[in-house]
Amino acid sequence: MTVIEAQNISKRYIIDHIKGNARGNTFREVVTDGVKNLFTKKTAEEVSREDFWALKGVSFDIKQGDRVGIIGSNGAGKSTLLKVLSRITEPTEGKISIKGRVASLLEVGTGFHPELSGRENIFLNGAILGMKRQDIKNQFDAIVDFAGVEKFLDTPVKRYSSGMYVRLGFAISAHLEPEILIVDEVLAVGDAEFQRKCLGKMKDASTSGKNNPFCEP
Amino acid sequence: MQETVIEAGRSEKYYWQDLWRFKELLWILAIRDITVKYKQTIIGVAWAVFRPVLTVSVFVFAFDKVAKIENKSEIPLQIIIFTGVIFWNFFAMSLQQVSNSIIGNANLVSKVYFPRLLMPLSSVAVPLLDFVVGFLVMIPFLIYKGYTPTLNIVFVPFFLILAFFAAFSLGVFFASLNVQFRDFQQIVPLIVQYGFFVCPIAYPIATIQELSWYPIYQWINPLAGIIEGFRWCLIPNYQYFEWNTIIPSVVFVTIMTILSVIFFVRKKIHLLILFNNHCN
Repeated sequence: MTVIEAQNISKRYIIDHIKGNARGNTFREVVTDGVKNLFTKKTAEEVSREDFWALKGVSFDIKQGDRVGIIGSNGAGKSTLLKVLSRITEPTEGKISIKGRVASLLEVGTGFHPELSGRENIFLNGAILGMKRQDIKNQFDAIVDFAGVEKFLDTPVKRYSSGMYVRLGFAISAHLEPEILIVDEVLAVGDAEFQRKCLGKMKDASTSGKNNPFCEP
Repeated sequence: MQETVIEAGRSEKYYWQDLWRFKELLWILAIRDITVKYKQTIIGVAWAVFRPVLTVSVFVFAFDKVAKIENKSEIPLQIIIFTGVIFWNFFAMSLQQVSNSIIGNANLVSKVYFPRLLMPLSSVAVPLLDFVVGFLVMIPFLIYKGYTPTLNIVFVPFFLILAFFAAFSLGVFFASLNVQFRDFQQIVPLIVQYGFFVCPIAYPIATIQELSWYPIYQWINPLAGIIEGFRWCLIPNYQYFEWNTIIPSVVFVTIMTILSVIFFVRKKIHLLILFNNHCN
């Protein structure tokens, strides 16, 4: 069964080039330029807008149980594609249909608040990633266990080492139990043992019929 | 099985459905703001009591004792100021929080999807809590001064909602513009600072009611009507408020709210492009 069907996705960004004096983007400059443009006709050389296609005509199908990795050089559009898939930005053209609950992990510990304790951040981050409060409660012990931060549950995460921070962040996402997991370069951190643990967790997930498109640099 | 379709322009169409689906997150973000605000303070929420009490004392001192404002109403100035300050604090703080809500949550915007309107909505939690605490301090004071509120008090939520939408609509405009033009970060504190004097907060409306330009004032300052309505709810036999004076405020707030939400939802796409270019 096809779970992700992408047809002809394109994503366009517009870049402004202004010849002559470099124009800033402050409110004053936009207003004065706007007024100026009312009276003078812009010539093509003065302002040129260039379309930048980060993605163009991307189509693919992903079947249930597939684990897909996207590789490419810098600026190839990997992150843009994942952003489109996780709905952070809309495609300019094309259509994607996704069957199943999606969790996207473009960053570990998205929305972690440094002042809040590990315990509070588990609930905050879980909710931001789309978990129900009850699900988080049920998974709480497993998350803490996986991250190995029992001792520091009530410590603000600003005092966590970067390793602890990442482990906690990943542990929450690993227990989302989504049908589709989108991951972007987040495993680059953490020690070798933790990376092994994460990959193991992803393998478990995919053998139980879930899909993991993931992206590595 | 849940099916999601991603297409250009689609999220705008299903915005309200999505907003409802994410209602739990609204609550979580609100709790986060409140927790963070009073974390690492020794007296915690007691600050919500101290702040208005201190403001009221200073203004009573400045306006009543030093400046000796002519009080044309029979109500003591302390009561006028107390009710005004509690109300104004709610409005002003909401405006500030809403205006900064997008920039303050920038780390979320570029990394995870949820209806962006949740950020300005949830940011009103802190001012609302402060208002409730301040309100509970004010009631005993009113009773002590011999102005026990009558049944009109049940209308307080109505005026509070009006104040909320006034702050929210203005704030949402600023929040979207703030992303691109940080100028608006400078404007909001000015509005808060001068608005305090332009609105009848620290002086009774009776002082200006007899002036020839008062009818115009009523139309260009929609907050004045809401504040007077709020006082009418709390002060017995308050004769300076008539329901028809609230009409300009209701009209203004409704139009502003609709426009600002449309603006915000449309602008969203633009916001994201900016974010994607600047923060990764």
